Amino acid sequence: MQSHSKKRVCYYYDSDIGNYYYGQGHPMKPHRIRMTHNLLLNYGLYRKMEIYRPHKATADEMTKFHSDEYVRFLRSIRPDNMSEYNKQMQRFNVGEDCPVFDGLYEFCQLSAGGSVAAAVKLNKQASEICINWGGGLHHAKKSEASGFCYVNDIVLGILELLKYHQRVLYIDIDVHHGDGVEEAFYTTDRVMTVSFHKYGEYFPGTGDLRDIGAGKGKYYAVNIPLRDGMDDDAYESIFVPIISKVMETFQPAAVVLQCGADSLTGDRLGCFNLTVKGHGKCVEFVKKYNLPFLMVGGGGYTIRNVSRCWTYETSVALAVEIANELPYNDYFEYFGPDFKLHISPSNMTNQNTSEYLEKIKNRLFENLRMLPHAPGVQIQAIPEDAINDESDDEDKVDKDDRLPQSDKDKRIVPENEYSDSEDEGEGGRRDNRTYKGQRKRPRLDKDTNSNKASSETSSEIKDEKEKGDGADGEESTASNTNSNNNSNNKSDNDAGATANAGSGSGSGSGAGAKGAKENNI
Amino acid sequence: MATNMYRVGDYVYVETTPNSPYLIRRIEELNKNQTGNVEAKVMCFYRRRDLPNPLVQLADKHQLATAEDSPLATKLKKTWLRTPVSEEQAAQAVLDPSIAALDEERTSPTQTSGGGGSATGNSSGNSSGTSNNNSSSTGSGGGAGGAGNAGGDAEKGEALTSKQRYQIKHRELFLSRQVESIPATQIRGKCSVTLLNETESLQSYLNKDDTFFYCLVFDPNQKTLLADKGEIRVGSRYQCDIPAKLKDTATDDRKLEELESLVWTPEHSLTDRKIDQFLVVSRSIGTFARALDCSSSVKQPSLHMSAAAASRDITLFHAMNILHKHEYSIEESMSSLVPSTGPVLCRDEIEDWSASEANLFEEALEKYGKDFNDIRQDFLPWKTLKQIIEYYYMWKTTDRYVQQKRVKAVEAELKLKQVYIPQYNNNGKGNGSSVKAGGGIYNGTTNGSTDLSNNGKPCESCGATKSSQWNSVSSGHSTCRLCLSCWEYWRRYGSMKSATKGDSGDGDAKKKSSSAASTPTATSAGLATTPTAVVDLNDDEKISDLTNRQLHRCSIVNCGKEFKLKTHLARHYAQAHGIAISSGSPRPIMKTRTAFYLHTNPMTRVARAICRSIVKPKKAARQSAYAINAMLVKQEFTNRISGKSQAEIKKLLLLKPKDRGSVTKIANRLGAPGSGPHEWLVLTPKDKMPLPAVVSFPKPPKAPDGSLVYDRVPNKSPDVVAVPADKDLTIIPTQATSTIRKRAHEEQQLNGTEVTIVPSGPPAKRPNKDPMPSHCPSPEQFAAMMAASGQPLSRHHLNGKQKIAQMARGGNGRKQVISWMDAPDDVYFRANDTHKKTRKILSAVDLRRAARKPWRTLPIKPAATEPSSRPIESQIVILD
Repeated sequence: MQSHSKKRVCYYYDSDIGNYYYGQGHPMKPHRIRMTHNLLLNYGLYRKMEIYRPHKATADEMTKFHSDEYVRFLRSIRPDNMSEYNKQMQRFNVGEDCPVFDGLYEFCQLSAGGSVAAAVKLNKQASEICINWGGGLHHAKKSEASGFCYVNDIVLGILELLKYHQRVLYIDIDVHHGDGVEEAFYTTDRVMTVSFHKYGEYFPGTGDLRDIGAGKGKYYAVNIPLRDGMDDDAYESIFVPIISKVMETFQPAAVVLQCGADSLTGDRLGCFNLTVKGHGKCVEFVKKYNLPFLMVGGGGYTIRNVSRCWTYETSVALAVEIANELPYNDYFEYFGPDFKLHISPSNMTNQNTSEYLEKIKNRLFENLRMLPHAPGVQIQAIPEDAINDESDDEDKVDKDDRLPQSDKDKRIVPENEYSDSEDEGEGGRRDNRTYKGQRKRPRLDKDTNSNKASSETSSEIKDEKEKGDGADGEESTASNTNSNNNSNNKSDNDAGATANAGSGSGSGSGAGAKGAKENNI
Repeated sequence: MATNMYRVGDYVYVETTPNSPYLIRRIEELNKNQTGNVEAKVMCFYRRRDLPNPLVQLADKHQLATAEDSPLATKLKKTWLRTPVSEEQAAQAVLDPSIAALDEERTSPTQTSGGGGSATGNSSGNSSGTSNNNSSSTGSGGGAGGAGNAGGDAEKGEALTSKQRYQIKHRELFLSRQVESIPATQIRGKCSVTLLNETESLQSYLNKDDTFFYCLVFDPNQKTLLADKGEIRVGSRYQCDIPAKLKDTATDDRKLEELESLVWTPEHSLTDRKIDQFLVVSRSIGTFARALDCSSSVKQPSLHMSAAAASRDITLFHAMNILHKHEYSIEESMSSLVPSTGPVLCRDEIEDWSASEANLFEEALEKYGKDFNDIRQDFLPWKTLKQIIEYYYMWKTTDRYVQQKRVKAVEAELKLKQVYIPQYNNNGKGNGSSVKAGGGIYNGTTNGSTDLSNNGKPCESCGATKSSQWNSVSSGHSTCRLCLSCWEYWRRYGSMKSATKGDSGDGDAKKKSSSAASTPTATSAGLATTPTAVVDLNDDEKISDLTNRQLHRCSIVNCGKEFKLKTHLARHYAQAHGIAISSGSPRPIMKTRTAFYLHTNPMTRVARAICRSIVKPKKAARQSAYAINAMLVKQEFTNRISGKSQAEIKKLLLLKPKDRGSVTKIANRLGAPGSGPHEWLVLTPKDKMPLPAVVSFPKPPKAPDGSLVYDRVPNKSPDVVAVPADKDLTIIPTQATSTIRKRAHEEQQLNGTEVTIVPSGPPAKRPNKDPMPSHCPSPEQFAAMMAASGQPLSRHHLNGKQKIAQMARGGNGRKQVISWMDAPDDVYFRANDTHKKTRKILSAVDLRRAARKPWRTLPIKPAATEPSSRPIESQIVILD
């Protein structure tokens, strides 16, 4: 099933990033990114994706989110001039958790540069999945460092995505609450932040169930407070229904997934009990929605497990199966004594009872129900989005005509492959259904499909009709695909009947792009 | 098995005193200490009863706010959460007068309890109105904790909801960020503490045993409450500006080319196989390059090592880059790997560094730890920081690091992840001495099956008249008895299972329990004195349980004494267990035994002057053992002083200086120049030196070859064998076989054994061990000796004070360090007349021999010794 849904994956990495060092005894180790990279090479995943060296984000780019003062401060502070900045360090919360280390600014530049470049890449539809393990620093605030994070590459990436996407979904599976991202988008309805995290006497202290956003952004912040010992099954039981529901109600045009690996078992700072497989399932699940997908790193403080996890998740993104036996690499000894890719959970008790998770879930569903169901607006937006993108893309292709673009053109030729695979991708979706069915599907079916979905669909359809975009076909598509795969709406709208013919759900921006192109031409 | 396995992160019950409610703690760390005991570092949770009353009311207010969904409540909540500081201050403000008003409360308890009760009633009343199923007021749950609640409570005939409301208070805890250390043996079982989530019903906690919840954080030092919650801030200073979605026609000015550079693309014509082949080729070229390279061939003498070095990831990355650069043409890439300058050689840091650099690095790492900046500055200034860091992470894969890690692993062994604590046998302890002393369990000898009645009285809590065991919770002047199930409830939840007569309000319950908690302070003297648990209905005595919390408890097994002050505990440790605990203050924990001074008052001085003949001050000064007969002095003093006037006495007190002439005069005389070399300064010629009458160390005879011939000093004195035969010489004390003879004299003193000591050097200081090396045993040796004897150190009562001795855990054979306290005693030997006589009998040669070899027995004629009838203590004087 994985092998069917091959995607174009871009991967951002700078060989310098492993050489930054937060300081003695500091748990954050950028070296884990290099360990991941070496594993990717030796697993042969390296050759299966586009590898990019990101630019160094400029201060200008950073100030799209961060305050000028803060960025100026980050740019000028060094270990040898720290004493001159005492007051500012306090103000910007730089010092203890977020120490001043050699190359601090460069590190931020690389991390942010990767995420921004990845977002632009997605905007230009030059890729379907972008990965930046150097990013994911989700605690950084507008003018404040926090929790080992200085520059919030995620916010910068999302801001970039918002230029082309009406709605962006941010999902955070770090064990810590993604407070920086949530705060940045707390009052907007264009970004929904969903964070699964340990809550209660835990950094950063935010992420209560009751924190749901403010102003226009009310109900657009979703927090899932969890307790110690979350295991794979429990995690899936809450992740899958909530993300499905969010996808259904919010209908994002792009997804950012923060893959903080400190939710793995045995993490130095974390207190969950996830395995690499359970963690990777989140990636797998989100990937199935076939939306432009940005994966970033994040926490993770038992570095051997972090690199295991991110290697595996890269393979999930690539839909390549990799052996459990780790290949030899420069850091092979780190993975002793078993030298296996997958890890086993500990026997810690899971304090999250199924009743607790159920209650949380129901409360969140209630909140999500409060979202203005304006699929009309949404769907109105989506075709725009898609058409825009297409025209942009075309513009680019026509005008720029640079080498990489010609490369892309070349790549477009075998796109038939893609569309094939997309057709098969439905199979994937079908799998998806069964996959969900393992645990929560019955309830989901009731909730999503029968209760709301139908009513929503009807309104959608109405709206679409008002828009007057080839209503006939859409009606059926909408009802077909609705709960499963909202991204389809996009392609459906674009490609109209094409997608319909493909047994109801085109899927994937690839097909969308193609269809749109045809339309335009 | 699993239930007794305690892990870091588990919530546990902790028993500090056998008859008070358990404490609730979270295990943060488990450490094995040197004696092999496991110590747990725990985070403290407080019960409602442990909190000062005003804070509890505040907490209720908060709960009221959170329990409701109404806009008012959320507003309340927001003010609470937004302004934690001001709220804190409010708490403080409430608190301070309240402490002062504690006495007042004592006299009018109803007032406060009423307040507390109304507050709680309020909260649950409000919440019952909400659809949330939030409060205990959902009527269903008769089962909530009511398992053992068989007794009919006519008096507590309130609705079940109120009982539940009462009980839910026992499930509320307050997190503190206070961490303390306890011996793991005090752990009595697991429980669960979770942050209350608003979606949960409180009922769910009541339905499950041993579950607690918390919402607020309590700071025991500041006596404040805080919501455990961060805040997402709203405002332009925190949110970002959302860019508008670009219009159809608008295009982003972003150029991908500026943002990224492609390093590899999968879009090429090469198959995987081809790439693999190319990688092999590049590795082979690398191997060959190393063979050509002089420095490499030194480092990697064997082909295998060269090949291994050429297979490192840097070569592979380089190969991939080359492929990409040459547009995935194998041919071109290949030729670029072998340019005219010779085959390409890629070396990473680990290979690049010379052996001496590596050594420097390891040395530096040992010195500075992982402070790479310092390492670079002081050791490897020619490397960049990045190089050093890269090297460090690669170095970690080497054997050298593995070795170091092993050392670390041994250290880490002391940090445990989990510990097994066998089921604590309540009965064993319950029937033990501690309870007997307090009469804690009535009919404690039950065989379980038979229910016993309690002298016709019902259980104070549930009214049951029969129980397999009756436990008494008692205070100073009144006790009440609880049936087993209520007692267990009481220990776990810190309160009665149901509200008792007349007081259903929570305030009273709290009051009760806080008074219960006050007893441990009173019993700091020890376990055996009084039973500690109290629930006294009428006792409004109110001492905050916090004092109880801060009791410092001796962590030694079987001791468990409690002290109010840490310093007291430290002193206790030092005195009773011989453990030196470094306290923060530079002051020594305890006084050494010699630290005293004599304060001479005028009368003493007068007495010295008057009774000079009796006191004999000069003699006393020379012989510290000389006993001055104080009685005689007193008598004489009173006799002589009686007739004297004040002025005369004063005169006596005046110091009469002795005229010895001026020092300067003497100095001048001696130092006067010109008097020439004095006669006494001229050296006597060697041959005119007077010969000694006896040569103590005559030169040994010369061997024919001119070398000196020395007698072999025998290892073992033949005398020893002779001694037992020599019946008349009672030299060796009867228990001479004991190995711990260092303290022989003290034992003798204690046993009162009569032992005649024949002057044989200073016998008291050493055991009669032959051959005794002429050095004291080192503390370790001594400890080993002590351990081998399997006997705890004898405590020596000296001046009523316990002697400081090293704690020895009987026979576990671990190495122990003797504290400084255990240095050899301040003991000297006082010769009595018998000894002096004996000395005179001995020839000078014998005496000297004895001085040189004190462990040897002396060849004394039996007739010469008069066996002294006095016990040895008369000869040993211990300075104190």
